[in-house]
Amino acid sequence: MSTSQTLFSLGIALMVPMLFAALGELIIEKSGVLNVGIEGVMLIGAFGAAVGVNYGDGSIWIGVLIAVGAGLVCGLILALLYVRLGTDQIVTGIMFNIVAFGLTTTLSAKYVHASESADFPKWNIPLVHDLPWVGNVLFEQDVLVYASVALAFGVFYLMRRTWFGLYARAASEFPRAAESAGLNVWRLRYVAVIVGCVLTAIGGAQLFANSGGFVAGYTNGRGFIALAIVVLARWNPLVVVLASLLFGVTQALQFEADRLGFLGDIPSHILMALPYILVLVAVVFARGSRYPAAVGIPFRPTRSST
Amino acid sequence: MTAGQPAALPPRSRLEERLRSLTLPRGITLWSILRVLAAAAATLLIFAILLQLLGSDFGTAFNAVTDSAFGNSFNFGQTLMMASILMCTGLAAAIPFRAQLWNVGGEGQMWFGAFVTIGIALNLPKGWPTALTIAVIVIGAMVAGAVWGLIPGIMKATVNANEVITSLMMTFIAIELGTWAIDGIWPQGASNETESVPVLMPNIWEGTLVTWGLPLAVIAVVVGWAIMNRTKLGFEIKAVGLNNRAAEMNGMSTAKVAIVTFALGGAFAGLAGSIFILGINSALPAGFQLNNFGYLGIAVALVARLNPVWIIPSAILFAGLRVGSDGLQASTGLSTTVGQILIGLFVILLLAFRLIRFSYPEAAR
Repeated sequence: MSTSQTLFSLGIALMVPMLFAALGELIIEKSGVLNVGIEGVMLIGAFGAAVGVNYGDGSIWIGVLIAVGAGLVCGLILALLYVRLGTDQIVTGIMFNIVAFGLTTTLSAKYVHASESADFPKWNIPLVHDLPWVGNVLFEQDVLVYASVALAFGVFYLMRRTWFGLYARAASEFPRAAESAGLNVWRLRYVAVIVGCVLTAIGGAQLFANSGGFVAGYTNGRGFIALAIVVLARWNPLVVVLASLLFGVTQALQFEADRLGFLGDIPSHILMALPYILVLVAVVFARGSRYPAAVGIPFRPTRSST
Repeated sequence: MTAGQPAALPPRSRLEERLRSLTLPRGITLWSILRVLAAAAATLLIFAILLQLLGSDFGTAFNAVTDSAFGNSFNFGQTLMMASILMCTGLAAAIPFRAQLWNVGGEGQMWFGAFVTIGIALNLPKGWPTALTIAVIVIGAMVAGAVWGLIPGIMKATVNANEVITSLMMTFIAIELGTWAIDGIWPQGASNETESVPVLMPNIWEGTLVTWGLPLAVIAVVVGWAIMNRTKLGFEIKAVGLNNRAAEMNGMSTAKVAIVTFALGGAFAGLAGSIFILGINSALPAGFQLNNFGYLGIAVALVARLNPVWIIPSAILFAGLRVGSDGLQASTGLSTTVGQILIGLFVILLLAFRLIRFSYPEAAR
């Protein structure tokens, strides 16, 4: 593969954790909740995958299973806090991240210090992977890469073409009216938070598979970048794919810089900070992007319902 | 009210009364005390279960933590120094939070403060009086922190960028810069940290490692308190936090409040960075991010209910847990980050028991 092919191929692999997390976050935000705990959920997902791989004979699928279970538990806890108890979502999310960091660091020091790694199986899509240039880049990837892009289309369909998407939009823009129309806002938000956290945790599992071995603070802001991706993509799941790809390629630069000549002279720390700088620049360009009106505001039903 | 005239504003005294009720810990009733105790008990219960699972027991852990945090004057001194860091990062969160501006980037502002502290300290001419050198460095670090805070603040004020995202991104940039300082800009030979700074804050308590950092942090808290309760700016910050639209209609500038609170918060966090370097450790070590001092400052501010006065006890409590975690590591082999689980759980439970609450303007509901 040529250097540019490697760069994009790697960028696509690195895009996946953020893509999963961003799609999960999109569903959550479109139900009216801001999950700042996304970073912690991703970290716990990555740790769950590490545990699954280390105690499951090196099978990545057991890792994914544990990550999904961990994401489910995170989702239940966060849904209880954000929705049922109506705690402030930003500070709850930040505190959740602290707990997730402390928990995974403590547990990994004890249980997975000499971590095994495991990869998702690769799948070269017949016929198209022979295409010049794009074949190697796009169609010789992990199965999870294809799954993540398919998921983006799925989420697009879910949010734009089904009753769930319609109700979710109502719950995130004007929950009081949605409630009057007979919608159980709480139940919808429960479902959204739990599903979103499971997707985020799968992203964490892919992050683990990408690099192998679990270290403290493994996610390194990828969850927060996913938060920004959702804003930049204006809550459109298909644009989320492109935005994630942009950040994936930006992250890939630090690994390929030596072979890209002109980038070789730039200190590696600047390249490593580049994704975060890019978020700041992109946020300025996305100035018109507006959160759904009720995002971040706890909802109290007028009549008591479960 | 005659038609055509603007609606009368509520008398200023009533607004101030409402603001005061938010400043003081509201209604310390038996019920609220019971809830705090319930939250603390639930935290300890969850933590005890966790310790059991990790093959340690609560009694041993409790003794290790209390002994290494408060056991003798030397250990208590360590706790006080850690508390001075947390007081500053606590202020960095508390002041913007009062305006409902979520500066969650105290961590990065502190890192940049530490970075600049080392940069200035290594390059200042030798031979200046110690007090002057320290003053120059500390002011430089505070300015640096303020600049790091200003960027999200200005982005909030001008393009209404989500300050949670921007301040977190600034944090990761600052950590990258700090890591670069450790392994590229000012490396110290074999050990994994930056060069040691040539000037240190003088010790003020014999037999301990308590330095000038502690009084500086306490002064910062007093300044924070004075700003919030004795100035027009503090009044505006609180008014914007209560209802930014109402504040805007009363002639206050929400953009100005965003910029000023972020700069102030950043300056306090920058001070935390310089206290760490000049008053505690003399160099920036690899793995500094494991401490999460900036994020823990948010916990400190929340438990203090964003009131500067309560930040001092709140910081000492959490610093005790942090220093205690070192003792826990020595006696049980658990990672020092174990204390962060306890702190995070406690704050989450306080939130769950509705002991920390935020008001949302009616209009947005």
